[in-house]
Amino acid sequence: MIATFEVLLRLLVWLLLAPLLPGIINKVKAWVAGRRGPPVLQLYFDLAKLWRKGVVLSTAVSPGHIAGVAVAWVSLVCAAMLLPAGPSGAPLAFRGDALLFVYLLALARFCTASAALDTGSAFEGMGAAREVSYAVLGEAAIITALLTLGLQSGSVSLTTMLAPAAGAGAALLAAGLFAVLLAENCRVPFDDPNTHLELTMIHEVMVLDHSGPPLAAILHGASLKLLMFSVLLAEAVLPIGKLSPPAAAAALAGSVLTVTVGIGLVESLLARLAFRRVPLLLTTAFLLCLFALLVAWKGGHL
Amino acid sequence: MNPGWLLCIAATGMVVGMFSAFRAPRLWLLTSLTGAIAALASAIWILKTGARWDWQSSVAIGGEALHLQLDALSAFFLALLAVLGGVGSLYQRGYWTDKTHPRSAPSGRAWWNAMLLNMGFVLLVANGLHFLIAWELFTVCAYFLITRERQHREVRQAGWLYLAASHAGTLCLFAFFAWLAARTGSWELGPMRDRTELAPLFWLALFGFGLKAGMFPLHIWLPSAHANAPSHVSAILSGVAIKMGIYGLVRFSSWMPVPDAAGWTVATLGVVSAVLGVAFALGQHDLKRLLAYHSVENIGIILIGLGFAMVATAHGNAAWGQLALAGGLLHVWNHGLFKALLFLGAGSVLHTTGTREMSRFGGLWRAMPWTASLFTLGAVAISGLPPLNGFVSEWLVFLGLFDAVSARGPAAWTAVPAAVLLGVTGALALACFVKVCGVVFLGLPRSKVAEQAHECGWTMRLPMLVLGAACVAIGLAPVLFWPAIASASSAWQPLWTDSAPPAPMQTLGAFHITIAALAMLAAIGLWLRVKRNGLSRAVTWDCGYAVPTPRMQYTAGSFAGIITGWFSWILKPKRHQHPVKENFPAHASYEEHTPETVLEHVVEPTGSVVMRISTAVRRLQHGRLQAYILYLLIGLAALALLALMGGAK
Repeated sequence: MIATFEVLLRLLVWLLLAPLLPGIINKVKAWVAGRRGPPVLQLYFDLAKLWRKGVVLSTAVSPGHIAGVAVAWVSLVCAAMLLPAGPSGAPLAFRGDALLFVYLLALARFCTASAALDTGSAFEGMGAAREVSYAVLGEAAIITALLTLGLQSGSVSLTTMLAPAAGAGAALLAAGLFAVLLAENCRVPFDDPNTHLELTMIHEVMVLDHSGPPLAAILHGASLKLLMFSVLLAEAVLPIGKLSPPAAAAALAGSVLTVTVGIGLVESLLARLAFRRVPLLLTTAFLLCLFALLVAWKGGHL
Repeated sequence: MNPGWLLCIAATGMVVGMFSAFRAPRLWLLTSLTGAIAALASAIWILKTGARWDWQSSVAIGGEALHLQLDALSAFFLALLAVLGGVGSLYQRGYWTDKTHPRSAPSGRAWWNAMLLNMGFVLLVANGLHFLIAWELFTVCAYFLITRERQHREVRQAGWLYLAASHAGTLCLFAFFAWLAARTGSWELGPMRDRTELAPLFWLALFGFGLKAGMFPLHIWLPSAHANAPSHVSAILSGVAIKMGIYGLVRFSSWMPVPDAAGWTVATLGVVSAVLGVAFALGQHDLKRLLAYHSVENIGIILIGLGFAMVATAHGNAAWGQLALAGGLLHVWNHGLFKALLFLGAGSVLHTTGTREMSRFGGLWRAMPWTASLFTLGAVAISGLPPLNGFVSEWLVFLGLFDAVSARGPAAWTAVPAAVLLGVTGALALACFVKVCGVVFLGLPRSKVAEQAHECGWTMRLPMLVLGAACVAIGLAPVLFWPAIASASSAWQPLWTDSAPPAPMQTLGAFHITIAALAMLAAIGLWLRVKRNGLSRAVTWDCGYAVPTPRMQYTAGSFAGIITGWFSWILKPKRHQHPVKENFPAHASYEEHTPETVLEHVVEPTGSVVMRISTAVRRLQHGRLQAYILYLLIGLAALALLALMGGAK
């Protein structure tokens, strides 16, 4: 009973905190540009509004269009349940959950990309094609990062893998994971969440035909994914398992905030890359993770 | 009732079915299904008890006494054969009927049973000579099944290529078994791990069985054969026939000593097959050819598991080897199930539209909701996504590889690229199946045939439902299937006798059930919310364009374009285009297809060189007697010269 309650409580924390991140990023961007910007809680207002709105569906779509959104959201939430939030570990930890985490993100991708093709729109087709193609390179980088963490901790469970610090290769791993975070969450320089030109978008263009509650689920899922990647990045670098609970919680919160501000700064200072350069940057992210793996390998012998 | 009697019933069912195929199709279906169920029961018996059934007969075939045996390894493959044989029999009742194919359907049923029977024998015999006989018979039966529509040139070519390639493989196996018999003095097969001098023979087996399994670059026959065969035949070819090659590799890597490099080689070939198989699949526009290339990919995943298990046995039977083998073996079942499901789904589409060209489909979910949902289920499974069966086996292989890396042994250096590329393969397969589902079943119909499509009948839907249910069952309750894998892997390596799963399969299953339940709840909840808020319909947003047409949709080629661009060095796609030139273009077109690179750039040039040499040599043989006498004289003179120069002793 208490265990169920605890899982539900953690779930609630994940779900409630997630929409904060895009708000912080937007605030940072506004601050750099010298604007006042939308309030930090803007996404909460948007979600609440969308949840009450009516829905316009394309005449072309199948019933899977809305079901797909639900499945994608559920798989992201389940992935969050595998990620340790701070010192007490994940609500559910078992051997091999790291791979389940990666493949749950893939399931969400399958659903969103299929829902995009469902509308029969060429623009959404483009977005879906880009999403699934760049994810190939992202997947290589994530698996390499997991191999690095697995090699350090001798485990394939996220709670144990993320407990120690990343060791000598921390900077490499952090840089690699940060690039993957930007790509997977469709931030600049891979994608521009603010653009209004369908031809140049990835994620935003896939959801053009969603509205009302399904769009709310998509936006919330995206913010949850951003939070998960920030937490993953923070915990991969920090020795979260070795700190006392309050210190660990503070360190985690601080580093997630740093990552978020970092995303905002990157977004303000960098321009979006040309699409043909995206694979290069992602390959670089993969190589960074690979070098982190090599460092971890040598580290074991020192 | 023991396995022997059950197998007897199975064989009788298949033989009676073979003879009733022409006149009594109902009796044929009944006996074939009975046979399949009996075979499945015997396989389950063996897998459950872990026992071994052995039968020595006094009947001699080819001078060798018939010796049949069913151990857990054979039973593992027999179970798959029985399931796919059964569903395939039912499916062809609706798909390849006497009405639509009056000439080819009755004989097709007979060949079907003959092939199932011979594949069964391949799994059962414990004698090299009989293995070769059964192997050859099943290969030839498959040829006749592939070429059901012989009137088409394309089908004849595919059949011919299959036959030629298969016989190149059989030739190697012939050499393998003959050599083995010569060295051991008997055709009897059995464990002989201590005879290390036999190890080099493994390379012959790898070529012969690898060719049948369709591993890269020996897969040249596979895409065209799978694409041109009737769909129930494609399902059994992809689901079981190519697994016979895997069976051969698994069987002989367990019975025989293998060279040191064997494990690495198998794993490397597996990685190459996995990545390039899916890359080629992405370049295809023919639905069944695309699925055929995915067989190459999945064979690759199986070989990664098997290869690392072999590496582990060579390095002190490390525990991660058992994980890799378990993953590989489970993937044999999984691939058989979801690939058969996908081929049957493709068959239903082909049945109603008459084309395999993906650019002519679109929006088929309206007309064929059953096929569309079951095909999508299969697509999720083959992309290795939770909560279905494909994920479970890939997860086990991954766990094996991760443990191999953590062990920091010499195996780790290969486990790192294997794990990374397995992840890449998964992402590529996902891209490919988003493309297939999106282009074939979603969006708007791109042609008249797609608009006029209709759902298939119950005889075709039921087999797909059975296969889909099996995919879901393995995904949601993997631990139930663990005893079968454990028996098979301890038959492969007797030291691995752990009956407890080495990985938390129970937890994984529970998590999968939770995901499935939550997803269903969330979908219903979201749908209710949408209904409550009010739902209106409008045309798809296409940048404000008021009258979008189905032709504006993204096509299969454009969807895969980014990735096929990365792989264009090996895919070598052929493009025919009339680009837009003038200001008021009257005509523009673009066409692209990806041929089989190994066939076009390696096998065909080699073949033409051989032909050219043979043609040149043929000039010597012209029928002029005088010249022949001259050859004789020259030959005699040369011999005499050799003798005089000191050759005579």
